[in-house]
Amino acid sequence: MKQLISDYGWQFIASYGVSLRISCIAFVLGLLLGTVLTIGRISPIPPLREAINVYVETFRNIPVLALLVFIVYALPDLGLVIDYEPCVIISLILVSSAFTCDNLRTGINTIDAEQIQAARALGLNFSTIVMSIILPQALTAVIQPMVTLFISVVISSSTGSLVPLAHEELTGLVTEINNKEAMGVVTFLVASILYVLTGLIIAFIGRRLERRYATWR
Amino acid sequence: MAMSRTEAALFEASGPKARRRIMIGTTISVIALLALAAWVVYRFYIEGQLEPQYWYFFTQLNVWEFIGAGLVGTIRAAIGSGAIALIMGLVLMFGRNSKIAPVRWLATTLIEFLRGTPTLLFIYFMFLVPSQLGLHISTYWMVVIPTSAYASAVLAEVYRAGVAAVPFGQKEAGLSLGFTRAQNFRYIVLPQTMRIVTPALVAQLVVVVKDTTFGYVVTYPELMVNAKVIIANFDSLVPVYLVVAIIYILVNYAISKFANWLSHRQSVKFNI
Repeated sequence: MKQLISDYGWQFIASYGVSLRISCIAFVLGLLLGTVLTIGRISPIPPLREAINVYVETFRNIPVLALLVFIVYALPDLGLVIDYEPCVIISLILVSSAFTCDNLRTGINTIDAEQIQAARALGLNFSTIVMSIILPQALTAVIQPMVTLFISVVISSSTGSLVPLAHEELTGLVTEINNKEAMGVVTFLVASILYVLTGLIIAFIGRRLERRYATWR
Repeated sequence: MAMSRTEAALFEASGPKARRRIMIGTTISVIALLALAAWVVYRFYIEGQLEPQYWYFFTQLNVWEFIGAGLVGTIRAAIGSGAIALIMGLVLMFGRNSKIAPVRWLATTLIEFLRGTPTLLFIYFMFLVPSQLGLHISTYWMVVIPTSAYASAVLAEVYRAGVAAVPFGQKEAGLSLGFTRAQNFRYIVLPQTMRIVTPALVAQLVVVVKDTTFGYVVTYPELMVNAKVIIANFDSLVPVYLVVAIIYILVNYAISKFANWLSHRQSVKFNI
């Protein structure tokens, strides 16, 4: 244990930082992209809605590993060479945006149809209805599922260990340490605790957020 | 996909101006989508990925047999994990609902740990640590143990939500008929819980199928690993990974549609 801290302490912190960086970028961009796609998905333009439906079903159902492998190994054959870390982030963005769309759809369905009818009666156009009536309510309604999504993005960032990242994320570091010297159980336990604590902290923040907006509604 | 009432309200008959704007929007998005498709095909074309040498082997039966064998490997692992998780999830749920405090703490800690740890980390653990200790584990179990551990923890919470969703009057009625706590659970609470949670259990199978792709790490012969072998044999990367991705998407799509259908049929609301 002592040896682990003195030899690898800093690396653990740095790798944990990489994991967090990948997860946060992927989650935030996924949230933004998912929100934009959701607007398209409820827009009055049928081909756009259908295309986004296909997008959502595709990336909701594809395993992150299969997607990452495709982006890393197949895209270069199509003339698109992307660095490893952006590859991991892109695959997580694609998946998390699809799940964001799905969550937001549920959120939108919690809004009474009468509210939209009232807005239309007042003569508001589609974009005003979306921006000031639908999205604010839908987003606050889906805090809990989005928190769950964030946690699974953190967990899925471990797929970064499958590709040679410039700076390793947590799971990659643990396997590297174990390939070099057999420190087995302890290294895994430390990494596992870091992941679990991160999840618990995110869940805690989510509960706080939800309580705040629950009183507001 | 069918529109909900809220969504339908957005699409009531619109006036001439809005109709024109919708027309323009439709035209632009159709052109954009066609352009996107054309760009993808063009990418394939200029990189030579449309050459028959990359695709011809899909006409060979044994290639599909090999892909099928991979799919069987995936299904075997998924069913194994699913079956274990169905039971272990129930056990963990009992632990978490136990009247004995230490059992409750233990189950809660276990659930949080298994749920919060990446399955991939656990798979590396199974891959590296037992062999350091001189234990031999087959690749099947290297995949199934971590995958089922994660699913068990998730299912424990699903079961718990299901038990909580059984109306309290049902439990009271059972107890007032003189059932013991165990009988009450066995004959009154559990059957209703199972009915409530079935769609969520099926939906969780999607996650299990996705997790079996980690067989890639330990070279358990599932779809991803067999794909790699085909790629090595025919030197064709893009088409094979594309086909495999589509298979995963279709399988998981079918499972989630089935789960949706189940929950629709029961029209039971969940809050998990």
